[in-house]
Amino acid sequence: MSYESPIREPLVTGGKTAGDVTADICRPLEGKTTKLWWLGFGLAVICLGILVYTLAISSFRGLGMWGINKTVGWAWDITNFVFWVGIGHAGTLISAILLLFRQKWRMSINRSAEAMTIFAVMCAAIFPLFHMGRVWIGPVWALPLPNALGSLWVNFNSPLLWDVFAISTYFSVSLLFWYLGMIPDLATIRDRATTPIRKFMYRFFSMGWNGSARTWARYEVVSLILAGISTPLVLSVHTIVSMDFATSVIPGWHTTIFPPYFVAGAIFSGFGMVLTLLIIARKVLKLEAYITIGHLDAMCRVILLTGSMVGLAYITEFFIAWYSGVEYERYAFLNRMAGPYWWAYWSMMTCNVISPQLFWVKSWRRNPNFIFFMSIIVNIGMWFERFVIIVTSLHRDYLPSSWVMYSPTPTEIGIFIGTFGLFFTFFFLFARFLPVINMAEVKSILPHKPHADSHEEVHTPEMVTQ
Amino acid sequence: MENKTQYWKGTEELNREPEFVQLSKNEFAEGLPLEEVLSESDLNLSSNRRDFLKYFGFSVSAVALAACNKAPVKNVIPYVVQPEEITPGIPNYYASTYKNTPVVVKTREGRPIKLEGNTKSTVTHGGLDAAGQASVVTLYDSKRLPLPLKNGERSKWSAVDAEIKAKLAEVNAKGAAIRLVSGPISGPATQAIINDFKAAYPTTKHVVYEGVSYDGIYSANEMCFGKAVIPTYKFGNADVIVSFGADFLGTWLNTLQYTREYTTKRVPTKENPVMSRHIQFEGNMSLTGTNADYRFPLRPSQEGQALMSLYNALAKGMGLTQLATPTKLEVAGNGVEESAKVLLNAKGKSLVVSGSNDPNIQSLVNQINLMLGNYGQTIDLDNYYLQRGGEVSFAEFVKEAGSLGAVIFLNSNPVFDTAAGEQLKAALAKVSLTVSTAYYADETASLCTYVAPNSHFLESWNLTEVSRGKYSFTQPTISPVFETRQSEESLAIWSNNPAISNNAFNYYEYIRNYAKANIFSQSGASGFDAWWNESLHNGIFDLPALTAQVPSNNVLASDLVAKINTKVGANDLILYTKVGMGDGSDGNNPWLHEVPDPVSKVTWDNYLAVSKYDAEEMGIEQGSVVSISNGQVTVENVPVLVQPGQARGSFAIALGYGRTHGVKETIGINMYPFVGMVNGTASYTVADVTITKMDGSYELAQTQTHHSIEGRDIVREASLSEFAHDAGVANDDKLTNQRNEEGKLFNLWKEFDYKGHKWGLAIDMNACTGCSACVVACSLENNVPVVGRDEVRRRREMHWIRIDRYYAFRNENNAYVTKEDDYDEMGDHQNVKAVHQPMMCQHCESAPCETVCPVLATTHSSDGLNQMTYNRCIGTKYCANNCPYKVRRFNWFRYNDNDNFNYYMNNDLGKMVINPDVTVRTRGVMEKCSMCVQRIQAGKLNAKLEGRKIKDGDITPACAQTCPAGAIVFGDMNDENSRISKEFANERAYQVLEELNVKPSVRYMTKIRNVEVTKETTAQH
Repeated sequence: MSYESPIREPLVTGGKTAGDVTADICRPLEGKTTKLWWLGFGLAVICLGILVYTLAISSFRGLGMWGINKTVGWAWDITNFVFWVGIGHAGTLISAILLLFRQKWRMSINRSAEAMTIFAVMCAAIFPLFHMGRVWIGPVWALPLPNALGSLWVNFNSPLLWDVFAISTYFSVSLLFWYLGMIPDLATIRDRATTPIRKFMYRFFSMGWNGSARTWARYEVVSLILAGISTPLVLSVHTIVSMDFATSVIPGWHTTIFPPYFVAGAIFSGFGMVLTLLIIARKVLKLEAYITIGHLDAMCRVILLTGSMVGLAYITEFFIAWYSGVEYERYAFLNRMAGPYWWAYWSMMTCNVISPQLFWVKSWRRNPNFIFFMSIIVNIGMWFERFVIIVTSLHRDYLPSSWVMYSPTPTEIGIFIGTFGLFFTFFFLFARFLPVINMAEVKSILPHKPHADSHEEVHTPEMVTQ
Repeated sequence: MENKTQYWKGTEELNREPEFVQLSKNEFAEGLPLEEVLSESDLNLSSNRRDFLKYFGFSVSAVALAACNKAPVKNVIPYVVQPEEITPGIPNYYASTYKNTPVVVKTREGRPIKLEGNTKSTVTHGGLDAAGQASVVTLYDSKRLPLPLKNGERSKWSAVDAEIKAKLAEVNAKGAAIRLVSGPISGPATQAIINDFKAAYPTTKHVVYEGVSYDGIYSANEMCFGKAVIPTYKFGNADVIVSFGADFLGTWLNTLQYTREYTTKRVPTKENPVMSRHIQFEGNMSLTGTNADYRFPLRPSQEGQALMSLYNALAKGMGLTQLATPTKLEVAGNGVEESAKVLLNAKGKSLVVSGSNDPNIQSLVNQINLMLGNYGQTIDLDNYYLQRGGEVSFAEFVKEAGSLGAVIFLNSNPVFDTAAGEQLKAALAKVSLTVSTAYYADETASLCTYVAPNSHFLESWNLTEVSRGKYSFTQPTISPVFETRQSEESLAIWSNNPAISNNAFNYYEYIRNYAKANIFSQSGASGFDAWWNESLHNGIFDLPALTAQVPSNNVLASDLVAKINTKVGANDLILYTKVGMGDGSDGNNPWLHEVPDPVSKVTWDNYLAVSKYDAEEMGIEQGSVVSISNGQVTVENVPVLVQPGQARGSFAIALGYGRTHGVKETIGINMYPFVGMVNGTASYTVADVTITKMDGSYELAQTQTHHSIEGRDIVREASLSEFAHDAGVANDDKLTNQRNEEGKLFNLWKEFDYKGHKWGLAIDMNACTGCSACVVACSLENNVPVVGRDEVRRRREMHWIRIDRYYAFRNENNAYVTKEDDYDEMGDHQNVKAVHQPMMCQHCESAPCETVCPVLATTHSSDGLNQMTYNRCIGTKYCANNCPYKVRRFNWFRYNDNDNFNYYMNNDLGKMVINPDVTVRTRGVMEKCSMCVQRIQAGKLNAKLEGRKIKDGDITPACAQTCPAGAIVFGDMNDENSRISKEFANERAYQVLEELNVKPSVRYMTKIRNVEVTKETTAQH
């Protein structure tokens, strides 16, 4: 259906036909549950159990179960929050911005990337909720709801309130976009379903999709509109998250560079996570033909770009701290580099600035094992970035009398591990019950086959960098 | 089928009149006047079906809601007959006495909840120290004995009294010796009771001892002047103060008086730029040492040498005979020469004191003061402190203890707080009658057959002679919480005191009669009842002071030379007391543990303070554990603190810790067994101790772990001469180029117009000694919880006010080094200066905390307060993160009603000390200094009731009220004549972190040090 250029890589390899696409992508969710799946799912659920337990401890005994103290009021909680929110950004970027830019290569990865977004935002939301001292009332009081408590209202000056709006909008739009994009595929599965339960469920969720030209037309329009709505979210959500820090007076936080720096970092970490997931998924679900080396290469280039932006931001921060002449600013950055948390800073620098530069080498960009390793490195680095920003800025601020050290407790570590449990529990369920690749869209980018009916020349498939 | 008899109701029915037939079809014979009733205008009802349903719905839901409300049953018992003087919600104040400090007790609904210094006192002028503030918690301590004990079992007073009396009679009949063992008795009426007891049992001797003894001073004064007294030291009259190890601002004798008088001479003004010069020689870094202008590290074993060389330097300067000293005296650098130089310029206006308990050293000090002409000027031997009793020495008592007939420990605990504890323990088992009147089943009481628990001072009547002719009254402010009895009453009953009538002893009458006979008669007042009532009301009564005389001297300084130890051993161990814990007698009081040591900022432990030099020599560091041995006694697992300013070769550890009985848990290590006897007095320096590194480590709970100011402009300092030249010397505006024409910095926020009041605090860092009384006062006023050692280690203490203490070290170029990275390069941390900076919520006008709270739980009041609404707080902690001063405190756990925090807020009794005007915070909310908003409101209310405006001084927050130095001033900045406006206009006033433009309502006064200008003072950091 699409034009093939001898110099462009095909987006789907292996000579797949439209029928093959359906068969390949439906196989994991129509076949028997594999032992591997049970193993992975079981592990994820155990971690989810840890999450429930540690959150229960924190809520019933108090936040004293964490390692935070009078000076460092946020540590792993908000680090993990920013980490997870950041991860989500790749999904939105792939599904919205790349859609608007007509990057067809996104089609085989956007479904799982969006799923990742939704699960990551769920994990992220846990932290601002449970970091509240009074978790039993906080989530309600932070909303601008009319109430019977007098003239109590929320503080629109507070970036935390902006967070509430940003995250909830982000989650709802992402969910909607993801679900809407899935309807044609759900209809396909419905049509193939054999058991009554499957038939009922997929029928219910495919919302009466009949594949008519009119439904397709509306589908296209709604996708475009939602992409338009999502596009600013890619930038706004992490901008607002960064303002939690940027609007404060704490040296190391009080920086105007934060919004672009956070967005770049978010995309960087998000692509890292997408790569981690997809390299496993394409292997386990045997989708190498759809998620090709070319896809991995394209994503590595995004990582290279955003990693370099992040690196530039780090250096700019340092320069500005020196250039400002403010002793507290200067100290905050020197302390990051050479203070007691130097190891966190240098982990961040190594993982985020130095290691992505390896992707200049084309053969490494096309080596799934190497990319997998690097994707983990990127995520470690980005976790440390947030830790460095939050903890090293707080632990030594203005008055040296209040300087402290922070170290996490088992409860905090448990919550972090637990969010991975939550994430993978959902991801395993997703991989088992929903099509991980957008079948409908992928069919539109199948390589031109001599035996297929050739109607017209459709637009060129493009790679990201062109 | 139905053949019923028909009954008719009336002739109408019988006759079946048509009218009746018509009506009988209706349910009601007559139409109900519903319309009429409902439309009655006076009821003003216009109910219809909808309204009915509304009311019905409301009533049903109201009933349902009411039924759902499972309000717990509270034991609220109203006054059946309300006492005349008590109005619920309004505090009553009564004058009383804590130890030797006149206090005012605040009571609410009949329970004492807070102590304040008595401003009428001519001794303390209204200050109260940390231990005094904390003592109210002891009243409600559930560990106190509720009943008398016999052999450790609870008993009855009548039974215990009968048995004790019988045994005393038996002992008396045998002629066996009876001993009354007590601390120094400062109450003349108590002494009279003791005398009555001795009269009843003639074999009785009264043994007076003190855990922390000042016998050396008594003995020296007796030797030199024939007066066994502790003189009144007048630090306020001294232009030059030279102290050899006397921590007179922290723990040495009457610190409250000294602090107040000392600070009057320590605050220079632009008009009068003078202040006293304070030179301190000491081994361990004491609170007093941190306040000195010059501090010279001096091992205690060198103190004799230093004093002799000071004597010689002075004698040389005055052309008098010098002492022939056995060794060459080269100690403490040029400290002695420098001191001599300034002392010679301040003859008659100087004061030399020593913390030593060696009578010979004290005699030499007396000779120096005599030579300087200080007697009658700065030292007053005529208006002295009293020590009554002291008939046999304590050592003699211990020796004969096994052969005694009866021993009564009158509120004393020698098994714990003397070196002879173990010996005494063994001996007491042989004594047939042992009685203790302790509050607790403490180390001594638990060995006694009978414990007749004394009442708390807040439950007692008493009379104290604070110093000669200055009386302070103790009034009960609550009836005894437990079935305790004042020890005076117990003694009177056991000795069948002649004042007993109807089998009861009325101590109040006894005091009254005593006062009538002994004080009133000298007062020159007419009318005893009026005098008595006024004195009780004021809490104090002063007889006219005597004129201080220059005493005649009986000792030659040259005779002392041979007696003074000049041998310098390997390691000197200094046994000192801490500002909070003191001698350890109130060891179960959680606030005395939780209040950080003013110097080391350690809570909940004692530790061995070691100099950096020695630590490196011995291969130990902070957190190591060591054993200490003096040859006879060894203690192990002593945590180490590397203490800047600690003299090389000297080690220091606090007494008063390591209580094992009568406390909830044993905290720290008991060092009393190390107290030695030198020249007949207890010695608190132990020569040649062996300190050995042990395996393991121990984390001390410090509230501050970073000790350098990192060159930051947080504390401003200048020398006196610079200040005299330019009063605003340290306060150059560093932000001039950023100000607009009005002198204001760019502001993101709208300026707020404070129409009424605008509250603020001024803190004088020249007055503040760092004593930490404010920390405890604030905590008790505001129901701040005790969190315990582990939570302090996790850096979660809850104090709303803290005292930041920074060190700076002088390097070889005589410049001060304030960056911690540079510290390690310095071989020596002996030459240190320190500064104390009280830090609390700054109530910023543009508060960073206020803008970031998502739910507006922290807001600004129209009178300039940064308010915290606990009920609204959801605990995001964002405000605390964004506070540049880091003064916000989060409730990590529920600290009340939680047995993991077993201090006092978890039991009904302990909770009685809670201030009902201040919310007890729940888990998960933020809190911080409110500038005692409850006191501000009370002050406003009072003024309103009296129909007047608030006067300056009407309102005093707890920190300012207790401050013995008067370093904190609270007031209305909008009132031009208020003290605070004047303080803010002071050239020394500055804002901490002014460049952030958060516009704090708290200002600090530049610290002025009376030092010679050198490079280091001009480069102030």
